[in-house]
Amino acid sequence: MTRIGPHVSRRDFLKLGGASVGALAAGAILAPPAAAAARKAGFIDVAGDGTIPTMCEMCVWRCGVLARVRDGRVVKLDGNPAHPHSRGMLCARGQAGLMSTYDPDRVLHPLIRVGPRGGGQFRQATWEEALDLTAQKMAEIRDNYGPEAMIFSSTHNLSQVQFENLLSAYGSPNYGTQRSLCFNAMVTAFLLTYGVEEPARNYDRVKFVLLTGRNLLEAISTSETAELMEAVARGAKLVVLDPRFTKTASKATEWIPIRPGTDAAFLLSMIHVIVTEGLADCEFVKKYVTGCEDIPAAMAEYTPEWGEAKTGVPAATIDRLAREYAAAGKDAMAHPGWRTSNFINSFQAERAIATLNALSGNVLTPGGCLVAESPEAAGIPLGKPPQPAYPRVTSMRLDGVPWKYPLVPLKLGIFQNIREAILSGQPYQAHGWFVSRQNPVLSIPDRARTVEAMGKLDFIAVVDVILNDTAWYADVVLPEASYLERYDPLNIVDHKLFLRQPVIEAQGEARSALWIYKQLGERLGLGEFFQYEDEEDYLRQQLAPLGAELQDVKYKGYLEVPVEEGDGEIVFGTPSGKIEVYSETLAGAGFSPWPTWEEPPAPAPDEFYLLTGKVGQHTQTATQNNAFLHQVEDEPKLWIHPAAASARGIEDGASVRVTSPIGSVVVTSLVTEGIRQDCLFLAPGYGHASKGLRVAYGVGVSDSDLHVTYTDPISGGQALSQTFVTVERA
Amino acid sequence: MAQKNRYGFVIDVARCIDCRACLVACRVENEVSLPHTRIWVKDQGLRGTFPDLAREFVPYNCMHCEHPPCIEVCTSGATFKDPDNGLVLVDQEACIGCGLCVEACPYDARYLDPTRGVVDKCTGCVHRVERGEEPACVATCLGGARMFGDFNDPTSEVSQALARATQVRQLVTDEVDPDPNIYYLNGDVMQTGLLPRPPRYTTAETLWRGVAIPAVIAGITLSFLGQAVAFTKQLIEGEQEFEE
Repeated sequence: MTRIGPHVSRRDFLKLGGASVGALAAGAILAPPAAAAARKAGFIDVAGDGTIPTMCEMCVWRCGVLARVRDGRVVKLDGNPAHPHSRGMLCARGQAGLMSTYDPDRVLHPLIRVGPRGGGQFRQATWEEALDLTAQKMAEIRDNYGPEAMIFSSTHNLSQVQFENLLSAYGSPNYGTQRSLCFNAMVTAFLLTYGVEEPARNYDRVKFVLLTGRNLLEAISTSETAELMEAVARGAKLVVLDPRFTKTASKATEWIPIRPGTDAAFLLSMIHVIVTEGLADCEFVKKYVTGCEDIPAAMAEYTPEWGEAKTGVPAATIDRLAREYAAAGKDAMAHPGWRTSNFINSFQAERAIATLNALSGNVLTPGGCLVAESPEAAGIPLGKPPQPAYPRVTSMRLDGVPWKYPLVPLKLGIFQNIREAILSGQPYQAHGWFVSRQNPVLSIPDRARTVEAMGKLDFIAVVDVILNDTAWYADVVLPEASYLERYDPLNIVDHKLFLRQPVIEAQGEARSALWIYKQLGERLGLGEFFQYEDEEDYLRQQLAPLGAELQDVKYKGYLEVPVEEGDGEIVFGTPSGKIEVYSETLAGAGFSPWPTWEEPPAPAPDEFYLLTGKVGQHTQTATQNNAFLHQVEDEPKLWIHPAAASARGIEDGASVRVTSPIGSVVVTSLVTEGIRQDCLFLAPGYGHASKGLRVAYGVGVSDSDLHVTYTDPISGGQALSQTFVTVERA
Repeated sequence: MAQKNRYGFVIDVARCIDCRACLVACRVENEVSLPHTRIWVKDQGLRGTFPDLAREFVPYNCMHCEHPPCIEVCTSGATFKDPDNGLVLVDQEACIGCGLCVEACPYDARYLDPTRGVVDKCTGCVHRVERGEEPACVATCLGGARMFGDFNDPTSEVSQALARATQVRQLVTDEVDPDPNIYYLNGDVMQTGLLPRPPRYTTAETLWRGVAIPAVIAGITLSFLGQAVAFTKQLIEGEQEFEE
């Protein structure tokens, strides 16, 4: 039997929990992970030259890397052909990775703030002093206000399992991830419909790909981007729904510049055509889908004509694409998307996407385009250090999950609500924030409010490799070793365990997150939750049940783990064990049990939708200071259609003021036919306020100065495209 | 064919996604200092009006021409066509940084590095190719747009790609055709603004070609004639001497 989800996915939604008792002496400062180890392993010769397999961290796709080292310096990164995510390739960010490690603006020593918060004045401190101060402040907050008064937030790094360990051992329920700013709508919809967080995509046979805002050629996931291009070159039909002519749209067979916020209407109309015309894979649907007889009635109102009125896409186009999609059968894929934090109704668009895939029978069947992410891999019995049970947490979460948002998965949470809770002091006042490798000042909508919230806290500590905008407001900055300088816990991809290992000595005093969390844990009296001598010991304990030697894994960079083949029977990880197009869970929470239409707000005649997205040369707000990437990026500008521009006397390259209900920025215009007349697009990730980033400082503006905070009551996702703005010559 | 192999690139324009991984890979692999670059991706910009739009991206670098104008003008002999692989290379030890080749290249694919005082350009990552690897830009090409190999080997990826292709173009005009070794597939490359310009000759170089070279030839000729006269004279005199 193949059990589909919930399982450990590539994205490290690692389960909290596990309990056994042990002890380790606290307080010892461990030796840094050393390139000496690489020498010992035979990767590099006496002169310090050689090639070491490790993993990229320039985004969360985590490609395999072969790092070429010369004289103890890393000189080139190549994609590891043995890794399924890189296949010998790295994107621009991966290729530029060594510049992030050798960035002259790296934070290489612990820093303690000396001036006013946000003033950027720090003094260099010893690790002992910085760790002691951080632990002392965290202990004070715990003792005075309870552990729930301390917020922990971190995003998508391999050491997150130990970050979560620290959070749970400390006893706080308040865990901030950036997920609600990104993919809550997608993950919540697929968990409710399939019991899978994010199905993997299989392009081997695909003949029809529908991308709903998934800009795969600019929001790059190396192997998937390459697979899509292979499929297109093979002649697969690519249909792109996007209000903007992205690079992905430029490779599409058809680009549909749909009205923003109406993706769900388009998809529901496609479903209407497929079910009323009897074009679905009946055998699959009858066997695996809940409520299959009632789908036509539930979708009755969503005719293509109705769809045209909502989306602006001709009814004939919707009807034709629905038929073409259905004709491709199992070789059709409606891509689940990724950052789906667009509108309050994005959750419904995701439910419709999940339904479209179910109707084509492509889900989890041999050769199907949507597959569970190596469910067998979840069965790999990784070891972990022994530890006692976590303290029971009884306080409510500041983000309202689940007491106000019953369907939002706990591990996703609602980041933007934490900020609001700091400001309101409800349901209780937070006092401290421990942030690791995350940049909430730039990522959460409404930067001014986030900075205001930070002003209400007694203590802020940040772990990072550079002085990003959040670190700029910290009281203590703890310098993490870069991904080329440290170990992280193992990562499972396709029945292989991949290792991130140091390829060079850590510069300055930078240390791994595994080390930093352990040091803090010990100082907080939580040493028994961190029973590993050092990073290598942690990895040995992970490998122990597999009988594998760390030395062997280091040498190849991965360990292949034999897994048992499933017997082909499919059970979905939903309450019914089926694909829940009709969801009792949603009905029980007071929401529509069917994928449904929710009318999104629209801009006034003189206003625009403000769109965000990605560029292929940067990752969120993390890479703009990389000089190699800065050199190949486009100048960040505001896209505006020529008709909208000329009506306002705006010429290409002009300085324009964009104003939203919460703020205003001045930016350079890009007058282009490649965007709808009712939309503006602002390149993301710019507008850094930290003067500790000498390349990125002063470049572009941040949409966090414009975005209004709107939260989807079902998924908790932030609606980033629901902010409406005006534009004028500056 | 003069050389044994004829290495070059095939670029499938339809598959370039303008991700710029090649630009960074080249910089790091070859330690090309900022802000210089050895390779480029030309964005044609949007064509058409909303919503009927098209956009293509055309990667290029040194075309490793069969008849490279850069070699013609090289005063120091630093620029040469490798007899084994056909790649156009610069011996930076021998380069005197005069920059004549930069002006002569119809594709503007060379630059003068003022800090090192030498000319720099794409080498086809010959150091990687020699150890059996692809050039850095090709190895990391996400879209699968870039291919590299030996056009003299009918089994190579590039030869196969050309054999299968329905449309192949070199960036040449009636006036300027150095027979470049980058072949483009599937793109409207003739509209890109990348067509070769006539080689530019600087004053110094024009002087070299127009005055100095004839002068040297004349000099050599005169000297030869002089020697010939002297030799003949000597011969006659010698004979005379012999006769004496």
